[in-house]
Amino acid sequence: MKNLAQNIADVPRSVAFRPATILVPWLACLAVALGVHHYLPMIVDEYWVNVFRRMGVFVMAAVSLNVVNGFAGQFSMGHAGFMAIGAYVAAGFSYYGSLYFRGEANVDDFMIQGTLLMLVGIVAGAFAAAGAGYLVGLPSLRLRGDYLAIVTLGFGEIIRVTLELTGKQVYDAKAFQDAPLSTLATLPFNGSTGFERVLPYANLFWVWLFVGVVCVVAYRIKNSSAGRAFLSIREDEIAARSMGIDLTKYKVRAFVLAAFLGGVAGAIYAHTGVNPSPTDAGFQRSFDIIIFVVLGGLGSLSGTAIAATLLTGLSEVLRGPESIVNSPAGVWSLAGIALALAVGSALLKAVGNRGWRVLAVASVAPVLLVCFAYLAQWLATAWGVKLSDYRMILYALLLILVMLLRPNGLLGVREVWELFGPEKPARRPGAVGPGKEPAP
Amino acid sequence: MSEFLLDARNISIAFGGLKACQNLTLQIPAGGLYGLIGPNGAGKTTAFNLLTGVYTPQSGSIHLDGRPITGLPPHQIAKAGLSRTFQNIRLFGELSVLDNIMLGCHLRGRHALVRTLLRTPAFVAQEAAMRTRAMDLLGMFNLAHLADEQARSLPYGDQRRLEICRALATEPKVLLLDEPAAGMNPSEKKSLAQSIRFIRDCFKLAVLLIEHDMGLVMDICEKITVLDHGCPIAFDVPAKIQCDPRVCEAYLGEPAADQPAPAGGGPAA
Repeated sequence: MKNLAQNIADVPRSVAFRPATILVPWLACLAVALGVHHYLPMIVDEYWVNVFRRMGVFVMAAVSLNVVNGFAGQFSMGHAGFMAIGAYVAAGFSYYGSLYFRGEANVDDFMIQGTLLMLVGIVAGAFAAAGAGYLVGLPSLRLRGDYLAIVTLGFGEIIRVTLELTGKQVYDAKAFQDAPLSTLATLPFNGSTGFERVLPYANLFWVWLFVGVVCVVAYRIKNSSAGRAFLSIREDEIAARSMGIDLTKYKVRAFVLAAFLGGVAGAIYAHTGVNPSPTDAGFQRSFDIIIFVVLGGLGSLSGTAIAATLLTGLSEVLRGPESIVNSPAGVWSLAGIALALAVGSALLKAVGNRGWRVLAVASVAPVLLVCFAYLAQWLATAWGVKLSDYRMILYALLLILVMLLRPNGLLGVREVWELFGPEKPARRPGAVGPGKEPAP
Repeated sequence: MSEFLLDARNISIAFGGLKACQNLTLQIPAGGLYGLIGPNGAGKTTAFNLLTGVYTPQSGSIHLDGRPITGLPPHQIAKAGLSRTFQNIRLFGELSVLDNIMLGCHLRGRHALVRTLLRTPAFVAQEAAMRTRAMDLLGMFNLAHLADEQARSLPYGDQRRLEICRALATEPKVLLLDEPAAGMNPSEKKSLAQSIRFIRDCFKLAVLLIEHDMGLVMDICEKITVLDHGCPIAFDVPAKIQCDPRVCEAYLGEPAADQPAPAGGGPAA
C-alpha cells in the first residue's frame, strides 16, 4: 500500500491543474451580481430592491454562521456581535474617510471614491470581526453545548453594551480633519442612537457580489479536507482527535472564519442605507440568523441560503400585497416556477460534474425567486386577504410547521444539488453482507 | 533505540482512589500481533486511552519507534503512527463512508486555507490522491460499493470494518483494536481473524488487540498480556496463558474446596 505522499505524486499534472475549477465560481459570482444589478430593478420596485439588498445581507450572515454552527458544531449565539463589529468598523471607514478626504459625508453619489472607502472598510471590518472571533473561539476549547452558547450570547451583549457607550458622532469635517486619530480614539459612533448618515454605497451589485464570494468561500471550505475536519469535530470529538485532527486549531479556525465572513456581512449591511445601531448586535438579531441556519439545515449552505432568502422575502410579502412587484402576472408565475423546476431537475439529472451542478442550481434559483414573488402577489390580490394583519402569526406558524415536518431543517446536511442525481449503479444485493474478508 | 516498536513501560494512572492502571508494561516488536485481555473493568480500554493520549499517564514512559510520545495530545500521537478503533463504534455517522476514510488521510496532508480557497493544483492533487487512496482501502475491505452511503446507515459488521479501515488510512505503525469482534457471529469472527492477520502482513504494522472472545485471541495473538484490577498479572504465549493459575483466578475467582467456581465471566463466554 502506498502512502499519501506517493499517491499525491501519482496524480498527473493534467488532473491537478484545472483552470475552470479555479476561475469559474468567481466569474459566476460576478455574472450573478451584474445580472441582479441590471435586471432586478426592471422587475421590482424601489422598495423591493432594498428588500433584496437586505436579503443578501442575511444570506451572507446565515452562511457564515453555518461555518461554526453547522460545520464545526460549535453552537454560537453571538453572531450578530461579529456582524456589528464588521458594520461599525466599515461604517467608520467610509463615514470618517469621506469626512477626512472630501470634507463632507453627505455626498449621495456613488463615485468610485466612496465605493473604494467601503471596500477598504469591508476588509478592515472583516479582520476586526475575525480578531473578535479568535477571542471568542478560545473558550470554546473548554466549553461545549449550552455552556458555549451562553458564552457567545454574553459576547454579543458585551458588544451591544459597548456600542451603546460609544461617544458622540462627529459631523464637522473640519474638526475631524484636524485630529482624526484622537477623535477616533474616543469611539465616536453615536452611542445608542446609532451611527448616522452612512452612505448606501452597497448597491445590489456589491451586495450580491459579496453574497457570491461568501458562498463560494464557505462552499470551498465545506468541500475540502479542512471542511471534513470541521464536520468530524461536530460528529465525534474523541474520534476526530484520534484521527489526528487538532481540535484546538480547528475549533478556533471555525470561529475565526465564521466571524470573518460575518464581519463582511455586517460591513455590507452598514452600507445598505440603514443606521447601524447597538440593537444590531443584540441577541434578537443573533436568533434571527440562527433560525435561518436551523431551518435551512445545519451544515447545508444552499439550505441556509434558501431559508434566509425565503424568510426575509416572506416577512415582506406578508406585509401586504401592494408593494411586491410592479405588475401581477399570476399564471405566468406558475408556469415560470414549473419551467424552472423542470429545467433545474433535468440539468441535475443530466450533469454529473459537481461544479456544473452547483452552477445549474445557482442559475435557476433567481428565476424561481422572482416567480414566487409574482405568485405571492397574485394570490394575495386574488383572495383579497390583508396578510399584513396576520404577518407575525403566519411567520411563527410557518417556523413551527417546518420544525415539525423537517426537524433537521429543510435540507439537513445536504445541498440542493445533491438531491437529484444521475442514476447511480444499483447496490449489489449480496455485497452488503457482513464479514467479507479483504481480498488478499 | 529499543528493539520494540511500541514500548510502554510502567505506565500508571489513578482516578482519585481508583487505580485504573498500575505499572503496565507493554512492548510490541515490529510486525507483532499481541493481545490484551482481562475481566470486565480490568482497565484494558484505560490502557488504550493511556497509549493514545486520551489520558496522560501519571508515571511511566511510552515510546513509539524510539520517539517519546508520553503526554503528547492524541492528534500528535496519531501523527506519530499510533491509530485505534473504539469499543463502541465511533464513526462520523452523518458523513459518507468515503469521507470517513478521507478524514483518516487528513493528518498526512497539508491544509493551508489559501490553497483550499483558491483550489490550487496542489490542493486538487491532494484531494484526488486522498480519494484514490480511500477507494483503494475501501476496495480492500469490500466496502467500495458503499462509498457514498452515510456511515451510520451501514450494517454493524460493515461499520466495524469501516472503523478499522479508517484507522489504517492514517498510515499507522501500530494499530490498536478495541474489541473488534464484539457483536459478531462465529463466521464473521473467523473472517475477522483472517482480516487482522492480513492487515498486519500487508500494511507491515504491529497490532495490539483487546478482545473478550478467547477463541479469537488464542487463535491469532502471538503473546498475551492479562490485566486484572488495573495490574498486569501475566504476559506469555497463548498456550501458557490458558493454564496460568493467576489468570484462571482472575476470571473465575479463587478456587474453593467445597464450592464450584462461580459461573459467568469465564474465558469461554
